[in-house]
Amino acid sequence: MTTTPLLQITDLHAGIEDREILKGISLTVNAGEVHAIMGPNGSGKSTMASVLAGREDYQVTGGTISLNGKDILEMSPEDRAREGVFMAFQYPVEIPGVSTANFVKTAVQEMRKHRGLPPLEPAAFLALMREKMKLVEMEQQFLSRSLNEGFSGGEKKRNEIFQMAMLEPALAILDETDSGLDIDALRIVAEGVNALRSKDNAVVVITHYQRLLNYIVPDFVHVLWNGRIVRSGGKELAYELEEKGYDWIKNESPAEV
Amino acid sequence: MAMEHFTTAVEGAFTILSEHVNGASSGALHTSRKQALDVLREVGVPTTRHEEWKYTNLAPILANDFLPAIGPTVPVTRTILDGLALSDLDAWHIVLVNGVMQPSLSNLPDADPDIQIEELSDETSAGTIAAATTNPFVAVNATLMSGGVSIRIRANAVVDRPIHVRSIVQTDVGATLCTPRIVMQVGAHASCTLVETHHTVGRSKGLTAGVTEIDCAEGSSVAYTKILDDGENGHHIGTTAVNIARAAKATATTACLDGTFVRNDLVMRLNEPTAEAYLYGVSVLNGSQLADNHTVVDHRVPHCHSEELYKGLYDGRSVGVFNGKIFVREDAQKTTAYQSNHSLLLSDNAVVNAKPQLEIWADDVKCSHGATSGQLDPEAIFYLQSRGIGKDEARGLLTYAFAAEVAEHVAHDEVREHLERRIAEKLGARRFDH
Ligand SMILES: Nc1ncnc2c1ncn2[C@@H]1O[C@H](COP(=O)(O)OP(=O)(O)OP(=O)(O)O)[C@@H](O)[C@H]1O
Ligand SMILES: [Mg+2]
Repeated sequence: MTTTPLLQITDLHAGIEDREILKGISLTVNAGEVHAIMGPNGSGKSTMASVLAGREDYQVTGGTISLNGKDILEMSPEDRAREGVFMAFQYPVEIPGVSTANFVKTAVQEMRKHRGLPPLEPAAFLALMREKMKLVEMEQQFLSRSLNEGFSGGEKKRNEIFQMAMLEPALAILDETDSGLDIDALRIVAEGVNALRSKDNAVVVITHYQRLLNYIVPDFVHVLWNGRIVRSGGKELAYELEEKGYDWIKNESPAEV
Repeated sequence: MAMEHFTTAVEGAFTILSEHVNGASSGALHTSRKQALDVLREVGVPTTRHEEWKYTNLAPILANDFLPAIGPTVPVTRTILDGLALSDLDAWHIVLVNGVMQPSLSNLPDADPDIQIEELSDETSAGTIAAATTNPFVAVNATLMSGGVSIRIRANAVVDRPIHVRSIVQTDVGATLCTPRIVMQVGAHASCTLVETHHTVGRSKGLTAGVTEIDCAEGSSVAYTKILDDGENGHHIGTTAVNIARAAKATATTACLDGTFVRNDLVMRLNEPTAEAYLYGVSVLNGSQLADNHTVVDHRVPHCHSEELYKGLYDGRSVGVFNGKIFVREDAQKTTAYQSNHSLLLSDNAVVNAKPQLEIWADDVKCSHGATSGQLDPEAIFYLQSRGIGKDEARGLLTYAFAAEVAEHVAHDEVREHLERRIAEKLGARRFDH
């Protein structure tokens, strides 16, 4: 039986101006899977996430990205989102004057429109928001506050997962959602993510720490270094990295050409 | 040339006015007119060499040869009034036509002991809060001041219904200058809402040289909203001066939404300890519109607080000017004063000149100012897009949100919603709450 992978990245090259940051990345993610991406600072993890989400600052100079068999490289960020791509930002943006509730409402209604669904009635919407806020243990007051404005680091990260819960993406890319979280918040966020997992969706978690992977257990772990995936393995690879650091991988990998 | 012509026209109107004062030429009103004319003759109409008019050139405006009018030149009908903004606001409406109060077109409280509304006379006070000393347009207004309105709110009165002054300049006979004067005295511990709107009605251009004076007695609370949302013929040069006493709180919101030319001078004086002043402003311009907001917050005594937020959104070839002065006098220790000014340039041809000016002579104070000017944050646009919101829509929503941050400070629901709707209309943007 052959199934189309949810996400297929083939030999992806991307960069900024003359500088190549991603130097040939290939990755296959099937529905139902969790992939962890690890790697030293500056290796290109956020760049990869941003390129997937369609950030226009980066030029893709080679390779392909397809979602459920559909080429998404030419799509705008909003179309990718509507097709089911969701990136939880490493640094969520503060947007004064826009309440969290209204923002999420607008996003959800856009998605529904794209899927040919009627807009949710206000009461149903409110009930849905309440339910999903509970999932990440966010207080109601955040709904009326300006989006991310004055939120603590941890509150911003929870808000990202709350949005993920509202939008129910096929592919969620979590860029260091664990950084800045205290131990309780880490568990809450991870449990929230786990509750959203299904056989039809997939999660890519970018992290520096094994501890998140104790909660969100990956099927595959990849090490990104210098714009390439230099090693892939099962969840035990994360333990090995935690123990030994990255040097042993760097030493075994081809140096920059 | 246009400048001298303007002064001469004002002098001519003053002479005619003098002939009609019927023995009241030694009355308080006419005495202050004469003094004001002397001031106008001395200071003259400012050119761009004048520090306070550096970025706002009056010459092309005054080239319209405005002729002063006092009172209606042709009757203004109800139908015309009903077509103007906020006509259905649940409020006491005071209509001024060419500066003169029109009781028959107004909706005044008859027998409300809390509110006293009458035409300005020798008996009512005027010119004590906005004195004609240096500002030439306050002098123009004071020279021709006649038939304006005095509003008095009794001590301890809680007036929930807003008082809406609608100043109309009627221009059917030709380019017209009008000089409305509003004097509001709010008694101790009273609270009220004053809304001021300006409209040009008629075929020709109109210029309003308006003055509003507000006295906030001890413990009172005053919400003042001035909306400039005039048609293409509209030109406005207005001064609002507010005196704030002990434990009183005054909030002034100034919205420049439409009209060709607007210059606002807003002066808030914190005269006694624990007075509070809040200044909010939003300008949404396009085409070749100009809005110039000059504000002065004068901390004269210790322990007062002020906050100021002005925002501008400039499209087309529009021009925005902001000058925000904060004075903290030597005695005004323990002052807290915050100012911020942010501009969004929606086109490459729009210009903004913003200048914060803090003059602080006391040492134990907390004062800050911040100013930004630029385009929408691309990171914010991407964030919205990444959640499925289209790019144009994201831009529209962020632009609206930028402006709405000011409108949200208007406490009166109907007035705030009106402002929000007009901002969205002008921006052609969809709002988040739909
Ligand atoms: N917009 C940009 N402009 C210039 N350089 C960039 C840009 N984005 C990424 N880079 C560079 O590309 C490299 C990879 O950055 P990226 O943020 O993807 O790393 P990362 O793996 O996410 O690192 P970290 O673990 O610190 O989050 C870095 O050297 C970074 O400076
Ligand atoms: Mg990163």
